[in-house]
Amino acid sequence: MSDLILPTQIDLLHVSAVILLVATFGIVVRRGFSDWLHAYRYQTIILAGVVALIAFVTGIWELYIVSALTLGIKAIVIPKVLFYVTKKLDSPIKLEINPYVSLRISVIVSALLVTMSYFMALQLPISSDKTIAVFLPVSFSLFFIGLFIIISRRKALNQIVGLLTIENGLFLFAVVVTHGFSLVIEIGLMADILVGVVISSILLFRMSRTFDSIDIKNLESLRDD
Amino acid sequence: MFDTAFSSIESVLVVSLLLTPVISGLLVTLLKRKRIIETTTVISSLLILIQGLFLLSSILEKKSILIFDGIFYLDSLSAIMIITISLVGFLSSLYSVNYMGRQYEKLIVDRQKLVRYYQGFNMFLFTMLLVPISNNLGIMWIAIEATTLVSVLLIMLYTKQGSIEASWKYLLIATVGLSLALFGIILFYYANSVYDNSFNSIHGMDWTNMVENAPQFDPNLVKFAFIFILVGFGTKAGLAPMHTWLPDAHSEAPSPISALLSGVLLNCAFYGLLRFHIISSHSIGSGFSNTLLIILGIISLGIAAASIYFQKDIKRMLAFSSVEHMGIISVSMGFGVFLGIYGALLHVINHAVVKSLLFFSSGSISQKYQTKSIADTSGIIKTMPITGFMFLIGGLAIIGMPPFNIFMSEFLMLSSGFSSENFLASALVILFLVVIFASFGKHLLHMIFGNPKSVMEKGDLGKLSILPMVILVSIVFIMGIYVPEPLQTLIEDASKIILVGGANS
Repeated sequence: MSDLILPTQIDLLHVSAVILLVATFGIVVRRGFSDWLHAYRYQTIILAGVVALIAFVTGIWELYIVSALTLGIKAIVIPKVLFYVTKKLDSPIKLEINPYVSLRISVIVSALLVTMSYFMALQLPISSDKTIAVFLPVSFSLFFIGLFIIISRRKALNQIVGLLTIENGLFLFAVVVTHGFSLVIEIGLMADILVGVVISSILLFRMSRTFDSIDIKNLESLRDD
Repeated sequence: MFDTAFSSIESVLVVSLLLTPVISGLLVTLLKRKRIIETTTVISSLLILIQGLFLLSSILEKKSILIFDGIFYLDSLSAIMIITISLVGFLSSLYSVNYMGRQYEKLIVDRQKLVRYYQGFNMFLFTMLLVPISNNLGIMWIAIEATTLVSVLLIMLYTKQGSIEASWKYLLIATVGLSLALFGIILFYYANSVYDNSFNSIHGMDWTNMVENAPQFDPNLVKFAFIFILVGFGTKAGLAPMHTWLPDAHSEAPSPISALLSGVLLNCAFYGLLRFHIISSHSIGSGFSNTLLIILGIISLGIAAASIYFQKDIKRMLAFSSVEHMGIISVSMGFGVFLGIYGALLHVINHAVVKSLLFFSSGSISQKYQTKSIADTSGIIKTMPITGFMFLIGGLAIIGMPPFNIFMSEFLMLSSGFSSENFLASALVILFLVVIFASFGKHLLHMIFGNPKSVMEKGDLGKLSILPMVILVSIVFIMGIYVPEPLQTLIEDASKIILVGGANS
């Protein structure tokens, strides 16, 4: 399959990989609720493009459908739902004010995570062709940066975006390494994600109504002492 | 495809098994009257139990069933899960009538929430039943993630501060955990695709297919992938140190749901782990995964022992006891000899039965005393004689007193531990079991026989709350004396699948 890729396509691969990473860093460096959602949307649009590219290279037509689904559900519907939630939240300040790890250090940690991902991708016993070489580290980066967002941020919405980033990383990983799951499973996964986003939005509403904010520092009363 | 698909009785059974909770959920949504939705749910879960028993008998006869072009696959291991889910599901729906009815009378839930509860209950059963039947490991993952989503809805039913906190932690930790498991699944899928060079095919993720190809997988890849699977499904199965969401979620849920969460859902996740344990044993031998299972199991036992000792809340204590028992199952499975695996599978059933008994009785108790605190709950046997007796039996069973059922499976585990020469692990298990025995026993005696703090009206909470407990207590007694013949054959078959690590073909 690697023989089929022309030099321009390789450039396309590199450029899209870079944009993916930049969009992910957008979530790390911005404070505003809507900034994360915009960044997530750009990330997902590029992801859909990458899937279409891989569909073109491998000639698996199901991947075109998957790409369209990604665009429709993850780049349009999910951000819409979350934008709606952000608008309806009671709290007046829609910013991540003081995360557990400051934004400056977050950027450094994320950069380290990207480096680690490149190192890890070399260690994995996965036979490498050009698409894999380009996207495997990127998918790991999305995965790890998503995890980092979840543990370092205090606003529940940011954690949802972190989860979605993890999921995008896994999705990219699956598409690159195994050319995606079969269509049935892909649809099931999308349904799971969509329902998950809706449920976590309900939880966000409940949280903001009960605690007057979506700061997770309110969620520390259940413990054994 | 469909004329061949419906040719066997099993495929009809499987489809109707899955459709029953869905239809019942729809009926609940449409009908909305309290009496009607209760009856619908009880009848549908009874139907599920009956269909489960029919499936069980045909699995006993045929050993393994592959239907619908290999999408669904049932063997003895799946049968154990189906029977546990449907039994606890039925009894839990029966208990819900009394428990949720009481919450409704006390205006803790309104009718809309009651409808949501029964919708969630039915969907919860559906998603859990989908787990053991699906052959495609991707669909299995989707089903397990769906159980998380549905149970989050059920946990946040009360919309108190505590339940919101618990459901958020649960949603976040379980989903992150499961995404690690998905990573592992993709790696296994990749290993399989590389082997038969079929990318993006639906059968590439079939468990039967993977088990067949497993010896040809790259060993390093399998090890790497299995660690992710173990951490991922281990999180959902409540194995320490990834168990942190469990005590919150299980203690904040309504009691019938706690029984399902502790008794059945943990086993569903562990079932997912087991399927990969089998693949990995086929590929690189069972030593690697066995060691990891023993280590995680011992950590779970240790953490549970410490937490039960210091526990102040009844339901949290029961939740930590679930961590303990998942640890026991894991250790027993990890010993890797026939007797140990047999004991682990027996323990899956025993634990489900005893833990739902305990959650039912503690639900009634905390409704009566209006507190979940261990210190404030005393003298149950004087205020609620029958429920108190049930709670006592359940408590004695869960700490491993003979002649109850848990004693049998724990005995099997320990003897297999010594016969497989895992002396250190067995010694640690005994140490932790003794600590748990003492501390759980102390709490139990205080709650049952202490003096009631305030004068309370004597009496239990209605026949419908007692009936499921009576059924469970009789199972506890029977299984403590002997395991019925068909069940014994079933567990033996399932143990062979895990031990040999292969399909029966």
